[in-house]
Amino acid sequence: MPTKRLKIALTKGRVEKQVLPLLEQAGIDCDLVRHKQRRLIFDSETQPYEFILAKGPDVTTFLERGAADIGIVGSDILVEHQSTQYELLDLGIGECQFVLASTQDFDPKAPRRKIIGTKYPLITKRYFDRLGQDVEIIKIEGSVELAPLTGLADAIVDITETGTTIRENHLQIYDYLQPVSTRLVVNRLALKQQANAIYDLVDRLADVVNANAKKEVMPS
Amino acid sequence: MLSNLLPLGTRDEFGRRAATKQQLIAVIQAHFKQRGLAPIATPLLENQAVFDPYQMGNYQLYRLLDTEGQTLVLRPDMTLPIARFLSATKVPLPQKFGYVGDIFRVSRRLSGSYNQITQAGVELVGYASLKAELECLAIANQLSAELIDDAVEIELGSAPFAQQVVASLTTDSEQQTAIKTALFNKQIPQYTALIAAYQDQPIYPFLQQWPRLFGQPKQIFQRLAQAPLPETVTKWIDELKTVVTWMQTTMPDQAVSIDLSSQAPQKYYTGLTFRGFSQAGAGYLFSGGRYDQLLANFQTKSEPAVGMGLDVDLLTELALNTTVTTPKQVIYFNPDQWTQAEQVLATQPQATLSLAADRAGAIIEAQQLGAALIDLTEGTSDAN
Repeated sequence: MPTKRLKIALTKGRVEKQVLPLLEQAGIDCDLVRHKQRRLIFDSETQPYEFILAKGPDVTTFLERGAADIGIVGSDILVEHQSTQYELLDLGIGECQFVLASTQDFDPKAPRRKIIGTKYPLITKRYFDRLGQDVEIIKIEGSVELAPLTGLADAIVDITETGTTIRENHLQIYDYLQPVSTRLVVNRLALKQQANAIYDLVDRLADVVNANAKKEVMPS
Repeated sequence: MLSNLLPLGTRDEFGRRAATKQQLIAVIQAHFKQRGLAPIATPLLENQAVFDPYQMGNYQLYRLLDTEGQTLVLRPDMTLPIARFLSATKVPLPQKFGYVGDIFRVSRRLSGSYNQITQAGVELVGYASLKAELECLAIANQLSAELIDDAVEIELGSAPFAQQVVASLTTDSEQQTAIKTALFNKQIPQYTALIAAYQDQPIYPFLQQWPRLFGQPKQIFQRLAQAPLPETVTKWIDELKTVVTWMQTTMPDQAVSIDLSSQAPQKYYTGLTFRGFSQAGAGYLFSGGRYDQLLANFQTKSEPAVGMGLDVDLLTELALNTTVTTPKQVIYFNPDQWTQAEQVLATQPQATLSLAADRAGAIIEAQQLGAALIDLTEGTSDAN
């Protein structure tokens, strides 16, 4: 039986830029994606992989519905969208951190029901549930830092890589939640249908990730 | 709001899809009847408590209130209502049941999933012998061949295996659950961190390989033989070996594999589990297993049982991809030619009688259906 080509849904933007060098180090020709112009789907007869570029939340939807075999997406999105697919590899890139941040006058211990702005209502709810606090959550799609500055919310839960954007907006970090990084995720049934091809890719990428990690530990 | 809008996650079925699905259901029901399974139909509505043992995963229930304020649900599963029925009616056991019906699971909004799913299934209740599992596998094997053209692989598992292994690692039930959850969801970064606590133990190399413990039976049994596993798993491995040998003898063309790294299809399974998939399908075509404790949720006495559910909607999708439709015919005739029209109808595989009042109407009808017109009135005076 001819083997199906593996369909890889890649989060476009920053994840895409960081992942392409890893894929190339693993011996995968990403030339089509590098010269994508406005295309979003890249298929070549000579390659065992077909690439799709999509937004992170859509990558999880493609995976859940079996429209993609493999997804490359941030762990923030996997948690928030309650992905039920297999998370086989931490690619060690896109590393950042969920934080609770607000203006300097914010008092996390103030005895009142706080209003929290976030792009991640599920992660926020779980965090405050763990603290035993009932909060009002406002879903915000972008520029979350605006929420405490405009009085829309008392604080925000958001991800930050270096904290620069938070500081530049005169906010400060009050707590650190879970870390975030880019993950390779596989559709449950695809792993059964194409185990060898998928594990071949995963193992090659794992070797690259481990080699890069060693380089970081031992700079020449 | 428009009055003709469907609720999210539902759909109408008509035309080729509906015809294919009904055809599959007819084949399944005929198969059940031929094997002597008693038909059973339980209500769509049940008390919520019936489904306490059910693991909803990422789904939710449709909940309603009755006139007395009791919470009712649209059934998300067919097995638990049958267990409830057996407990309530004290029907003498053993019994073999076959069913076809709809279940309801509210999936994530706007995810493209349907919330009403047609399921067919078998419940063999009161049978402690492995023969019950084998009959389910025989049904799965035969129905797969009858229903779809694709080759189906049957994957065997063992519900107690993972618990027995983690119980040999630690008595901490939270740690056991954490390891199993990471293993079953193949959350490898978390799993790797969790098993690091056991890296000095002889079982550690097995733990490292455990998430990949699925594939061809011969290879899996070889890997199991090399691992220092607790004695408690031996009976489950032996059972798998027995079933694989039986399958290879009884159904030599059936592809079979083993998966000891995945969660059982439902948390109420207590023994052998099985699932089937094809290369083309986007989900498991069927799944089932032994559930010896299920009736204990409704009564003090438990009963041994094995069950299996088939995803009729997924089978329909696959059948639609492969079924070649024969050309349709529309038979136009005068009222006094009814007997002749019936005779033609009986000889054509996909024909229908035109009920148009005249030939012009029959031509339009045939065009709309993309069908050829068989005109029995040619050479006679046309009916008007």
